[in-house]
Amino acid sequence: MAERRHFNVRYYLRQQPVMLAMLSAALVVFFLFVTGLSQVYHAQRQALGNRWFNRGVADLNSKNFAAAVTEFRTAMLYSRDDYQYQLSLAQALIGMNHGGEASAYLRNLWDREPEDGLVNLELARIAAQQRQTKEAVRYYHDAVYAAWPADQESTRRDARFELIELLLKIGDKAQAQAELIALSENVGDDPTQQERIGDLFLRAQDYDHALAAYRVSLKSDRHNEADLAGAGYAAFQLGQYSLAEHYLEAAVAYDAKDTQSADRLKMTEMVLHMDPFRRQLSASERSKVVVEAFTTAGQRLKACAVPKSASPQGGTAQTSLADEWAAMKPKMTETRLRENPDLVDSAMDLVFRIERQTSILCGSPTGPDMALLLIAKSQGS
Amino acid sequence: MDLQSNAETEVLVEKRPLPTQPPMPVSNRKALWRTVFREDRFFLVLSVFIGIFSGLSVVCFRFAIDWARLYLLGTGTVLSTSRLLLAPSLAGLVIAFLVIHFFPATRGSGVNQTKAALYIYNGHIPFRTAIGKFITAALAIGSGHSLGPEDPSLQIGACLASVLGRKMRLSRDRMRLIAPVGAAAGLAAAFNAPISAVLFVIEEVIGRWTAGILGSVVLSAVSSVVVMRWFLGSESLFRIPAVELKRPSELLAYAILGVAGGLASVAFSSGITTLRPWCKSLPRWTQYFQPAVAGLLIGVIAILGFPQVMGAGYEYMDQAMHGQFTWQFLAMLAVLKIIATLLSFTSGTPGGMFAPTLFIGAMLGAAVGGAQHALLPHLTGSPGTYALVGMGVLFAGFLRAPMTSVFMVLEVSGNYSIIVPVIVANTFAYVIARGLQPIAIFDLLTRQDGLDLPSMEEQREEDVLHVEDAMQAVEDPVLDAQETVDQALQQAGRAESDQLLVRLSPSGWSTVTKQELESMAAQGKGAANLGSLLPILHVPYLHPDHPLETALRYVDRWPLVPVVSRADFRQLEGIVSQRHVLDRYREFGEG
Repeated sequence: MAERRHFNVRYYLRQQPVMLAMLSAALVVFFLFVTGLSQVYHAQRQALGNRWFNRGVADLNSKNFAAAVTEFRTAMLYSRDDYQYQLSLAQALIGMNHGGEASAYLRNLWDREPEDGLVNLELARIAAQQRQTKEAVRYYHDAVYAAWPADQESTRRDARFELIELLLKIGDKAQAQAELIALSENVGDDPTQQERIGDLFLRAQDYDHALAAYRVSLKSDRHNEADLAGAGYAAFQLGQYSLAEHYLEAAVAYDAKDTQSADRLKMTEMVLHMDPFRRQLSASERSKVVVEAFTTAGQRLKACAVPKSASPQGGTAQTSLADEWAAMKPKMTETRLRENPDLVDSAMDLVFRIERQTSILCGSPTGPDMALLLIAKSQGS
Repeated sequence: MDLQSNAETEVLVEKRPLPTQPPMPVSNRKALWRTVFREDRFFLVLSVFIGIFSGLSVVCFRFAIDWARLYLLGTGTVLSTSRLLLAPSLAGLVIAFLVIHFFPATRGSGVNQTKAALYIYNGHIPFRTAIGKFITAALAIGSGHSLGPEDPSLQIGACLASVLGRKMRLSRDRMRLIAPVGAAAGLAAAFNAPISAVLFVIEEVIGRWTAGILGSVVLSAVSSVVVMRWFLGSESLFRIPAVELKRPSELLAYAILGVAGGLASVAFSSGITTLRPWCKSLPRWTQYFQPAVAGLLIGVIAILGFPQVMGAGYEYMDQAMHGQFTWQFLAMLAVLKIIATLLSFTSGTPGGMFAPTLFIGAMLGAAVGGAQHALLPHLTGSPGTYALVGMGVLFAGFLRAPMTSVFMVLEVSGNYSIIVPVIVANTFAYVIARGLQPIAIFDLLTRQDGLDLPSMEEQREEDVLHVEDAMQAVEDPVLDAQETVDQALQQAGRAESDQLLVRLSPSGWSTVTKQELESMAAQGKGAANLGSLLPILHVPYLHPDHPLETALRYVDRWPLVPVVSRADFRQLEGIVSQRHVLDRYREFGEG
């Protein structure tokens, strides 16, 4: 009887549905076992990864990039996909000037989070280093408008400053000016930022905005010699010589070692002194200034005599100017100039033409000739 | 109204008592049982179980390797000298002891053992082999021996499948096929690449495509990969670099990589086939120390500044793909990895050849790419792409799995733009390797072990005779079924042979002998149509492109078999007879 029962049990155990049920039960047990094992495994790896990551961060902060790279790599051995590990490794690699490999990690991170500001900024820096300017500008823009974990305003501003530096480096002044205008609206009255913006505006040759930025900065500290020098230079470039003189005088007074500003001040004073069209000038003084300018132009013309054979066109123009100068010379007396104001205009017109022509043929002038050339420019003739 | 009536009907139907079914006879129930649990269906269900079991086992295997590495070599990437020397050599001693005394079947990679199970042992692999492979391979790879986890995973999967098949009392035919099903599951989980695993098993283990086996192999591979990803995540083995083909002329550079890969494959396989029998021929006591000596030498290589050669080395392949090494260093790593793998494998340490093959290919590819980039920076792309292609190159040249090599690179990279360079480079590598060493590495190892397993490569490359090779032109007249017996007899007079073909109407063929025609005429049937007097059973026909062995099925029963055009079955291209077929086979056999 027992044998028969045993036979029945064996018979049923051999049936496929029963066997499948038993197999499923075994599978569940095995699955639970592996799940438990997996939790232990992953917890251990996470702990090891964190340990090596913390060591790497310490080395990265102390700029020990080689050690940091090794430690971050070890950390990634335990969690290859960890976002923070990869980002830190990329930063350490950038520190070691391994831009190519860093960019591989960063691109991977970018695919996962294209709006991460730091990733975009680092990618922009690498692209800029590799002279891939289009890509660099794109990443910088993304960095400017990306999400930043903390202190969004200042990090975005810094990213924009880097972008402007790049644009100026590649000579895209128009784009740089646009970025600077946007930036200047965001920084408020912060004198340090306004001074930096003023400097960048100067480099972008946007003197109007540069002057405005320096003025904002000077509101907080009107003795800031750098701002004064910058404002003086901007005003000088704009042809606002009286204003330039004001700022440059102050700049030189506060910083006697600023030779550039001193030279500019000297030139500004010369321009103001030699400008016959300035206001509040008596007729006799104007006549004197015109005669002086006429003489200076004549000397420059002589000094810049070019034989016709060397430059047929220039030579002809110069000869014609010399003839005109010689023809006007007898009229250049203070009395006649006082009597005939039109003569002042025609004399100065000739002076300006001489200075312009000679600057083309003989290079940029210095001293009084430079002053006359600047007056010519400010008069727009 | 209609709605209401419908509702009423439903209520009626619900209220109506169900008719009592007569109890199903026992024989019917058994038939239903057999239909539901038909063996082919059951085999498919079992394949999913095999896949899940294999996936879980491979996950445990991965844990074991990582834990072995952690406790034997340390947690960092910069390893101490003492550990570099002691870990692989002491582990080698333990492995040798375990293999010699407990698990003798775990030597080597495992691919050939799975093939042997299929072709020799009717799918039987002892469970002990899986246990042994698990322990010894995890210890070997974790301690730094230059071997990989893929082939052992393949063998573990095959072994589990064999055990399940035995427990489920599968038929002999199914049992034979069950090992490859498990092998595909194990390999897919180890590689995280189900397509490559399926292809490899079909290409290298089974050697043929049949719908029955393909379904099971795919199911098991996919279920094992799902399990593996459940526990270990879906990230690929490497971070894939940006793949770029700068210009079509760069394909020339990939051809150079193919040539280098072909030569490296030959060097690698020659090393194994030379060193392995030598190691085996040494006195038996030396087998206790061979893995330890191999481990010690690998440790020395690591101490000399190349720790990358230890273990599977996937993290270093990843770094090579991202330009972390100079091309000179990469070339050095490729050479040293060949040496390290030769030492580990030929010493009898259990472990796989896949990972070392990929490592050597990646390093060689990145080295060739880096050198070309240094020489011609404007012509070639990043070395990372070359590393990726290089992996496929060695796979094609060394393992001689050309299809798998292409799909593996595609599957791992997930980028189809790499396909052209891969095909170009792999073709060169395969052709060169096959030209210089006609027998593939797995077949050479099988023969060294004294087994005679079918070579899949030889089967693929084998010349096949076709019917057209034995077919003869028709010289005798062909009779038409519409003719009278007298007309046919007249034509038969001009024929040399006794047998004549008859074209039936509207289609089909038959034969008739001269004697039969004469007998018909003598019976007074001379004016009757020939077709009406011929037997109903038609002669089968063949096409010129049929394999010649197809003809063998007919020529013993039919003295003449017509060979007809595929476009028009009435158009006779030639004839074959038993003599023609046998003559052709004899000529072929004599070379």
